[in-house]
Amino acid sequence: MPGPRPHPPILAGPVLALLDLHRRFHDVVALDGVSFEVPEGRIVGFVGRNGAGKTTAMRIALGVLDADEGEVRWRGAPVDTATRRRFGYMPEERGLYPKMRVLEQLVYLARLRGMPKADARASAERLLETLEVVGDPGARVESLSLGNQQRVQLAAALVHRPELLVLDEPFSGLDPVGVDVLSGVLQRAARSDGAAVVFSSHQLDLVERLCDEVVLIDRGRIAAQGTIDELRVSRARNLWQVRLRDVDTRWWEVIPGTTPVRSDDGTIVLELASSTDPQRVLDVARSAGDVLAFGPVEPSLQELFREVVS
Amino acid sequence: MSGPDRGAWRLIAARDFWVRLRERSFLISTLLNLGVISVLVLLRASGGFAGATSFELGVLGGADVVAVANGAASLGGEDLPVRVHPYPDGAAADAALNDGAVDAVLTETQLYGLESVDGRLEALVQTSAHQAAVDAILAEHHVSEAEREKAAEPAPLALGALRPAPPDRQDNAAVAFVGVLLLYGQLFGYGMWVATGVIEEKASRIVEMLLSSIRPQQLLAGKIIGIGVLGLAQLITIAGFAIGMALATGADFVPTTAIWAALLVIGWFVLGYAFYASLFAAAGSLVSRMEELQNVIVPINLTILVSFIISVGSLQDPNSTLAVVASILPVSAALAMPVRIVLGVATGWQIALSLALLIGSAVALVPVGARLYSGAVLRTGSRVKLRDAWSAA
Repeated sequence: MPGPRPHPPILAGPVLALLDLHRRFHDVVALDGVSFEVPEGRIVGFVGRNGAGKTTAMRIALGVLDADEGEVRWRGAPVDTATRRRFGYMPEERGLYPKMRVLEQLVYLARLRGMPKADARASAERLLETLEVVGDPGARVESLSLGNQQRVQLAAALVHRPELLVLDEPFSGLDPVGVDVLSGVLQRAARSDGAAVVFSSHQLDLVERLCDEVVLIDRGRIAAQGTIDELRVSRARNLWQVRLRDVDTRWWEVIPGTTPVRSDDGTIVLELASSTDPQRVLDVARSAGDVLAFGPVEPSLQELFREVVS
Repeated sequence: MSGPDRGAWRLIAARDFWVRLRERSFLISTLLNLGVISVLVLLRASGGFAGATSFELGVLGGADVVAVANGAASLGGEDLPVRVHPYPDGAAADAALNDGAVDAVLTETQLYGLESVDGRLEALVQTSAHQAAVDAILAEHHVSEAEREKAAEPAPLALGALRPAPPDRQDNAAVAFVGVLLLYGQLFGYGMWVATGVIEEKASRIVEMLLSSIRPQQLLAGKIIGIGVLGLAQLITIAGFAIGMALATGADFVPTTAIWAALLVIGWFVLGYAFYASLFAAAGSLVSRMEELQNVIVPINLTILVSFIISVGSLQDPNSTLAVVASILPVSAALAMPVRIVLGVATGWQIALSLALLIGSAVALVPVGARLYSGAVLRTGSRVKLRDAWSAA
């Protein structure tokens, strides 16, 4: 195994490419032309509603499922069995041999992916420590708490030091400490080891915090993709929020090109036409009362997500 | 495929082998088999399955009754020794019968046993009594002793057979019965292990992890081979134990027959297992929970059970049409053919045809089983229909 790869360049090239994937199950179209790329050393968040096609796309990327049409490429070449062994996977349906011992199981799974026995053992022992798995490595998996089983599952995805990590809802079921541990592990895998990481999640705040890029899938199609800033710009609405003390008049109506978007608890969010100067809005607000807060609104991923899928 | 990839099935096979070797049910089934074998060998060593090989005959009455009893003893000769025990009165004779000291009691007018009289003993005594009666009448008519002896010549007819059964048929039938019993247990038991192993992986969802590293065919092959090798090792252990025990107890087995039969059983286990295992695996992959296994496995189990029953039946009449057909058809050959081979009635072309069909269909079934397995193994939830499994792969 090579040592840790050097820190990836800022503009890393894509290593995994999903090209126009189609897949249907009987009458249900799960994927309807899904394409996206994952660069080396980057963490990509894969978000979408339940049933949008995330798991299907991930299964196809891992070769567990075949696409009806389209192709998965790794470093420009079609993915074969040998390549696939350098991938790490955490399925949505967690699964380990319940009666097999923790360490033995990790070594076995690493060896199935072609890792020599001694390396597999060393790597498994190190991971159990890093992931803070509590308990005897010689214990049966079924005897561990669910949280610890989840960490062993993660170790199973990482044990052979994969170049691509695909994790389906890795954060679900983790306590806050577990979330921190997992976040750290994913960041290390990408930043230090140069792995490409894709994970799906419904915890959008986490995705926003961890991911370099986001891929948003909706009804089997990619609805948006890019860095979060790019998404913000592409979806940007010129939103400004104003908070006044004890004012309940519709003071903004005198300014042309302003539309109220929402208001709650004394704060009003206004969408401004591009011709409208925000300073004019501030002037009018100050003449209406005491301004407590004024500034542009950065839409959260949550808001972008809602906007895209609605 | 790259180097280590070719070995993936070996890792799977090794795991399946060791995991099951350590299971309690394996230990129990091994001990149970060894126990049954011990009992059978000991039984055979102390008299065999064909019933008693010598008789104790109580006698109640005068010199003429004793003469009939002695006549029966000399008719029996060394093949079927009859020892004569005179008793002074009926009570003593009945007591001896009750104790099992004698097998039957002969009086002036009757031959009686505890519950019944063994047919062979009866034949000896009846013949002897008949000879004595004829001899008495001839003596009354002053026929010379030499002529009377000639008339009493015990076997006026020479015995022959158009297709003589081997003289050791009885022993061979016993060996064949033990062999087919073992084969049935191994084929059924290890086939079930393949099916439950598949369901375990499906139910625990580990299968998706496994299939992200290796192909379904590798997983299937590894599982079938690992479990099959364990079944083979167990069979060899049992056979070796049985032969060793037979030799140690000095059972008058022809050891070559036993060794020959053991090799046959082992060989036909490999073939039969190759035939059934991929079917068991495919059936297992259709369901997601152990409780549902019974529903999909019934047709396979029934096939093996019926083959077993036909094979046991063919011990009596190994050349019946049913026995011959069953020994040639691949679905039943693995159980029915070795019986006929051990009994020495299977002809060369029958064995060749049976082998060709069984090997051919086993080879043909592997991809069928693998395809059903691949198509169904990732689909959890309700039972997968055969047609869906086939077209999904």
